[in-house]
Amino acid sequence: MKRWILGLALCAAASAQVKLPPYSREVLPNGTVVFLVQKTGLPLVSFHVVVKGGNESEPQGLAGLAQVTAGLLRRGTAQASADQFNEQLDSLGGTFGAGVNEQATAVSAEFLKKDFDRGLALVADAVLHPAFPEEEVRKALARAADGLKTVKDNPGGAIGQYYESYFFGASHPYGRVPDEASVDRIRRQDIVGYHDRQYVGKNLIVVVAGEFDPAAAKRRVAETFGAAPAGDAYKWAEDHPPVASGGNKVLLVDKSDATQTYFIIAQPGVRRSTPDRVPLTLVNTLFGGRFTSMINEELRINSGLSYGASARVEMNRLTGGIYITSYTKTDTTAKAIDLALEVLKRLRDKGITAEQLASAKAYVKGTYPPQRLQTADQVANILAEMELYGLGRDEVDEYFQRIDAVTLEQANAVIQKYYGTENLTFVLLGNAAKIRDAAGKYGKVTEKTVRQAGW
Amino acid sequence: MRVICGLLLGAALLGAQDTRTETLANGMKVIVQEDHAIPNVSMYLFYRIGSRNERPGTTGVSHFFEHMMFNGAKKYGPKQFDKQMDNAGGNNNAYTTADVTVYTDWFPSTALELMFDMEADRIRDLAFDPKIIESERGVVYSERRMSVDNSNGGALRELATATAFEAHPYHWPVVGWPSDIESWSMDDLRSHFRMGYAPNNCVMVLVGDVHYDQAMALAKKYLEPIPRHDPPPPVRTKEPEQLGERRVTLAKPAQLPMVQVLYHVPETKSPDTTVLHVIQTLLGQGQSSRLYKRMVDRDQLALGVNGFVGNALDPTVFTFVIQPRSGVDPAKAEAALYEEVGKLQSEEVPAEELRKAKNQLLAGHYRSMKTIEGRANLLGTYEVFYGDYNKLLSADKDIEAVTAADVQRVARQYFTAKNRTVATLVPEKPEVKR
Repeated sequence: MKRWILGLALCAAASAQVKLPPYSREVLPNGTVVFLVQKTGLPLVSFHVVVKGGNESEPQGLAGLAQVTAGLLRRGTAQASADQFNEQLDSLGGTFGAGVNEQATAVSAEFLKKDFDRGLALVADAVLHPAFPEEEVRKALARAADGLKTVKDNPGGAIGQYYESYFFGASHPYGRVPDEASVDRIRRQDIVGYHDRQYVGKNLIVVVAGEFDPAAAKRRVAETFGAAPAGDAYKWAEDHPPVASGGNKVLLVDKSDATQTYFIIAQPGVRRSTPDRVPLTLVNTLFGGRFTSMINEELRINSGLSYGASARVEMNRLTGGIYITSYTKTDTTAKAIDLALEVLKRLRDKGITAEQLASAKAYVKGTYPPQRLQTADQVANILAEMELYGLGRDEVDEYFQRIDAVTLEQANAVIQKYYGTENLTFVLLGNAAKIRDAAGKYGKVTEKTVRQAGW
Repeated sequence: MRVICGLLLGAALLGAQDTRTETLANGMKVIVQEDHAIPNVSMYLFYRIGSRNERPGTTGVSHFFEHMMFNGAKKYGPKQFDKQMDNAGGNNNAYTTADVTVYTDWFPSTALELMFDMEADRIRDLAFDPKIIESERGVVYSERRMSVDNSNGGALRELATATAFEAHPYHWPVVGWPSDIESWSMDDLRSHFRMGYAPNNCVMVLVGDVHYDQAMALAKKYLEPIPRHDPPPPVRTKEPEQLGERRVTLAKPAQLPMVQVLYHVPETKSPDTTVLHVIQTLLGQGQSSRLYKRMVDRDQLALGVNGFVGNALDPTVFTFVIQPRSGVDPAKAEAALYEEVGKLQSEEVPAEELRKAKNQLLAGHYRSMKTIEGRANLLGTYEVFYGDYNKLLSADKDIEAVTAADVQRVARQYFTAKNRTVATLVPEKPEVKR
């Protein structure tokens, strides 16, 4: 009873620092990094396997290879056919997912605590011993090609692909977006070669999270993932930050039946490990990271131009973009974009106030525990992320102190450094016949249509 | 073994000692579940009002209201609800369905009293500013453009639902017809607020870092003084029995076609709902499911296929969505679906396969309780749609009780040609047939 009365009295006081729960980190002889983190309360255990590389490790011209490989892990292994594998997985009520991002392939699976051994065996079999049967490869590639078509039927998703391709360009790993041609070039031997090269001890991070017996878990993980060949550590790509120069550029993508225009306004940003990450997170929260952000307030709350507008700072291993994204009905396209640019200019010219900074600090701290530390999976993701980006546990344990320490001067300096108003990249997806003139206002226009292959 | 494990787990998570409830003098029910693992709270308010309580001319007004509830009241003016929450380290959202409007607040436990104050303020004294209403009208129209007009799945679902329901208010879309969005008046809004936002028409759920006594003291201070009034009048219209297959098409520029098949099924409270959940798992959950193996893998007819039934206060529909592969005639994909559904009717599900589906459902049920927000949503959903949040405690027993004969009976009863509506999206630039 006392605690809550106290809680109310101290309403305005700073929130206490949250900490990572206890965990262990061990490097197996083959290079695999293993984390064990116990989180009790639910008799569930999850296995997270991170394979270093991701999109940037795909050979030139074979964009999509990492995702196709990940999707095929469960479609036939040395031990089991695809049908046998999936029967076993579903019979345990287990889950198994495999996705790829810019720097890694992430496999996550979850089982009831009592099925620890069977669950781990399934995951290890899929990750380390996929057979890539000829027939499964053929089907997966055909499905991937059709999957690209459904993305083009979904303008909210398609604009992201057009943005990556146009903003980063074909010479940058993040600009090589899977398309009809790259998927068509993938052969089984590419998949087998990719797996042999990337899915090796020196590139693996394994996190076991939830309820389990740590001694037994340690032994079982060493028996399974410890038996993988050590291989060669993946050599990370060098950073080639996108450069902004030579004025604005505009990509206009025609979708003739669209009744609203989707748009992105981008400029070069940061990499995940930037020392500016904490002040930048606070600034972007105010600019476009929450419902009351400057950009959503103008485009949605004050003007009713859009259901939503936001700004995002990409945080990957290589330098990414900072971008505004929204959508509005076709005939208010220029009005909405002009307004977004005005908000950007206002941020740059006026900066933020002490009051705004305090609000951003409270918001980021208050929303952090439920979004990042509540479940075993969330904690597992943080541990894998720390390892992948070479960060320490202070990333969590000292996070709140670092937030509290950000000064108004630091926050405003970050604005001057990253939120420019020139040399912007625009991507507009909508009814080109009706928005072509508007697009031309912002810079030199390149045109495409969603019917064309590629992005 | 698995059965016992499941039951124990359910009790551990939601033991009666952890979840307590009280109904305030004005009829508002408050459900509290303490969990002090993280210093945060989920506060969910379920109002029993949705698009089923609307009428032609004002369709979508419940959803519009969901937006207006964030636009200012007496004590906390325009923008204040969100700004105060931000400053206190919280955030929020809301959703509207055909049956309910739900407000979802997530915040550090230090903001508990503020949240009671702000929720009470907007239930009691919502402001109606004509300028804000006009601006919010634009926002809602943009939401419609995003989720329906520029979404193949959304546009097809709207058409399919309007075809399956001819009389019952489930006929119209939750977001509203475009012409209604354009023409709601101030009077429509005021009368809708009076109808739906009575404390006795609301269930409040709190899960997380709160103490029961503290929560009830605040509820009594802030919410109990709000007077009760009549809840929305009962929805009288019942959907007449469907007496023949209905087919509709939607022509739209698209890369790929799409098919949705809807069968009328009973409301959530019906004991057949759990059987339908087992059926949706057998048919569409996981890569070992019948539809995935047949249509996605073996015959390569579809990129994806699944079936589901949502929560509903009145008889509703079970929906199958098929995304055909390029070059595949949608009729061929449709025929494969009927063949698989037919097998459920003609042959009993093998015991092992039924066991598998139950394990998937049980595990999924537990997973939905991992977070405080997940549990707040489940407690409220069970209270409103199943009539008692305690039904959540017995959900695993209900799943276990489903027999192979139940599956066969339910499949035979509802999945008939006469009882279905088929909606097909036909790309205007036709694909070359395989």
